[in-house]
Amino acid sequence: MAETIKLFVNGCEVEVEAGKNLIDAIGAVGIEIPHLCYHPALGADGNCRMCLVGIEDGRPPLVPACKTQAVEGMKVLLDAEHIKKIQKDVLELELINHPTDCPICDQAGECSLQDYYMTYGREESRMNVDQVKKAKKLDFGCGVVHDQERCVVCGRCVRFCRQITKTGELGIVNRTDSARVTIFPGRPLDNRYALNVVDLCPVGAMTSADFRFKQRVWFLKKNRSICHGCSRGCNITVDHNREKDSDDMIYRFRPLLNEQVNGYFMCDEGRLSYHGENENRLSEARLSKTPLSFDDAVTAALREIEKHDDILFLLSPNSTLEQMMAIRSFAEKIDATLSGFSDGYIKKGDGDDYLIQDDKSANRAGLELLGIDSSKEAFETALKKADLLLNFNNDLLLAYSETELKKLLKDTRVIGLSSHETACFQQANLLLPVASFTEYGGSIINCDSILQFFAKAVSKNSEPVEICELISLLGGPFHDRTQLWEELKKNCELLSNVDPDNIPPAGLKLTDSEADNVPA
Amino acid sequence: MKWGFLPKDTGKPVYLAVNSDESEPATFKDRYILVRDPHMLIEGIIICSYAIGSHDTYIYIRGEYTTQVKVLQAAIDEAYDAGYLGDKVAGHDFKLNVTVHRGAGAYVCGEETALLESIEGKKGQPRSKPPFPAVAGLYDSPTIINNVQSIASLPFIIENGADAYRKYGTEKSPGTHLFGISGHVEKPGMYELPLGLPLLEVIDKVAGGVWKGRKLKGIIPGGSSTPVLTPEEAKTVTLDYESMAEHKTMFGSGGIVVLDETVDMVKLVQNLIYFYHHESCGQCTPCREGLGWMLKIINKIVAGKGRLSDVELLRELCDNIEMKTVCVLSAACTMPVRSYLDKFRHEFEACVAGENGSKQETEQEER
Ligand code: SF4
Ligand code: SF4
Ligand code: SF4
Ligand code: FES
Repeated sequence: MAETIKLFVNGCEVEVEAGKNLIDAIGAVGIEIPHLCYHPALGADGNCRMCLVGIEDGRPPLVPACKTQAVEGMKVLLDAEHIKKIQKDVLELELINHPTDCPICDQAGECSLQDYYMTYGREESRMNVDQVKKAKKLDFGCGVVHDQERCVVCGRCVRFCRQITKTGELGIVNRTDSARVTIFPGRPLDNRYALNVVDLCPVGAMTSADFRFKQRVWFLKKNRSICHGCSRGCNITVDHNREKDSDDMIYRFRPLLNEQVNGYFMCDEGRLSYHGENENRLSEARLSKTPLSFDDAVTAALREIEKHDDILFLLSPNSTLEQMMAIRSFAEKIDATLSGFSDGYIKKGDGDDYLIQDDKSANRAGLELLGIDSSKEAFETALKKADLLLNFNNDLLLAYSETELKKLLKDTRVIGLSSHETACFQQANLLLPVASFTEYGGSIINCDSILQFFAKAVSKNSEPVEICELISLLGGPFHDRTQLWEELKKNCELLSNVDPDNIPPAGLKLTDSEADNVPA
Repeated sequence: MKWGFLPKDTGKPVYLAVNSDESEPATFKDRYILVRDPHMLIEGIIICSYAIGSHDTYIYIRGEYTTQVKVLQAAIDEAYDAGYLGDKVAGHDFKLNVTVHRGAGAYVCGEETALLESIEGKKGQPRSKPPFPAVAGLYDSPTIINNVQSIASLPFIIENGADAYRKYGTEKSPGTHLFGISGHVEKPGMYELPLGLPLLEVIDKVAGGVWKGRKLKGIIPGGSSTPVLTPEEAKTVTLDYESMAEHKTMFGSGGIVVLDETVDMVKLVQNLIYFYHHESCGQCTPCREGLGWMLKIINKIVAGKGRLSDVELLRELCDNIEMKTVCVLSAACTMPVRSYLDKFRHEFEACVAGENGSKQETEQEER
């Protein structure tokens, strides 16, 4: 913790971080101040008035906590009757024109308004005149659906588009109780981060067309992971659920706060990439396009490896450090050539100056760290020589056209280890299904050299095997995490001091200098 | 004067904004100054700008004041031509530009920070303070905002000295003030009077008394947002800040409205709430939602469908909304409304009871 100060909340002394507003400072020690419009990423606006607190001996005696810096010795009143009454009163006003049909609202279960009603309100409605009618189910573009009646006009979504994406598609028009959030006519949301407004919206006024009404949020299990959409490695929550008689399914990815990686947000593409974890998955092993049991496939693979002298291993830049190490040591053992060729994963010019990176893979830095050659020339030369290619989930069709690839592989037998039914592996002589990233754990290094660890998030009914494990079945020397990390430390200077079991949740910045190498 | 709050040496320009958005019902003093003596205002601007070291003044003028804008602009042009504005003010090494900015008809833009937002080209809605404009105002720079009358009074004070100004008025409320007297009087109009005169005397002697020989029912002392005075209270009120505060009302804008015995206080309150609801910028919750609710309740009462509980709710909402908001617009509504509800409660009760008192019985059925 940074510098601290002492102040009093309801007469009790608390020690909080200096330089923060009251909501964050006091919130960090577990005392909640209700708030709707304030969001740490967007700053204070001061419009909802839910956060009014008393300051004893202060002038003025009543202040919005979001706009008030915590200072040494401050006496903050939260539980006084008059403050509780204000919270109740403001909440009542927030609710008078609100549909309050929580049972059919997509936000129920993760709605600030609903929570605050249960905590601070719990009053019968005194509204006996007509409510203000506003529009519902407006298509704002980018898969964002807006319900004006549920909106509390907190302006978070508007500020997001102004301050973060700087695209300014949203605005609040009209005054008084006809004030409403809208887009300019014919100018829908048009930015690559638009779906963040759904998370930002404290109520059910912004919903995602992709997710709305698919699941009640209280059924969802939430696990941390890291998006593999690009080399930023945004931290995410994987929301998944196994409904009766069906497999564990992922329903959404949501960004998870990591100040040094992605802040509070993530891009829409990454967010929607959860579909790839559910859909189009390779579920069976195949020999010359004919299904066979996984065990038989392993036996067949062992035979192939035995039979051939010139073997080429191709890694995916999405593999974890552990997988890379396992594959590398296996290659060394059987004297196979190793390539990390993956130019196809780089989309030149696609990145921006915010989160999105050109490199659409999660761990290219790992390839470099392990000294794995990724050049096209080396790959093609090795391929020409090789009579067997073991492709560890690297989609070559990102780099070559189908005809090019066919030509390249015409004299080579291919064993494909794939998580998905991709066209690249259609022609493989032997195909083995492997787990995708939400189904295993591991360590990756992002575009800013931040080493991050993610754990397994979902467990499928029939678990696809993880690559390290498969390698041990095929005769690789190392496969368990402890062993692999010993190898990693031995082989990579930069990792030599890392304790793999204690990588901080926010990640570890890898630098050449030892001094910098302390957890933030 | 707020000039003392200006921070020193910020490296940013200092701005002067003259608030001429005069939109408070029953207030019409600026329009007189703007039309009758615009040069006095310009002179005041030059004095003030020199004092605070500002080289840019924005006069924010109510959009509906079309004539006033024309006259003022013509006067400013004259001042530029005569060398009193521009790069060398009156030949001195002092630069001053004055820009007239017309509002688009929102009452809330009379609120200092909404006014600044509007000049900046944004939606006119108040900023949540702090920071105050003197520290971070127009374009995030130190800004002094004064109204037309304050600025226009500067030339007199500079020329004749503060003592000459203090010769008028009371100790705590020195000088003269422009009183716009309207409503049910024989001689409505704009009167410049020293502060401290007895209210009723001014109404009788200056404005000719309540018209048509009718009885006095109430007096709005300083624009629609000030709590109403009953004839009884009015007896002891003098026209200065202290006396108004003692009588739990405010000096306000000096727009005095005389209400005769025919005025229906329930409808007056309806009108008040209608206005403030319509003008709420809609930014903060209590004002945005609350004034709309109050309007619907008073409409119900006026329509003869109200109950006693509605009157009570209306009264309670005044308390619940007031001072919980970003700006004082909502208080400008709830303070007077509360005063009518408290001082003329019987009229509201009579209204919900119906003339013959039969209303109470239908209450149950409605539920
Ligand atoms: S937005 Fe929240 S309070 Fe409103 S209906 Fe939905 S869950 Fe309920
Ligand atoms: S849509 Fe949601 S985030 Fe946007 S203003 Fe309304 S309540 Fe706030
Ligand atoms: S009190 Fe009313 S006018 Fe003032 S900021 Fe709030 S909503 Fe706007
Ligand atoms: S959180 Fe402070 S006013 Fe909304």
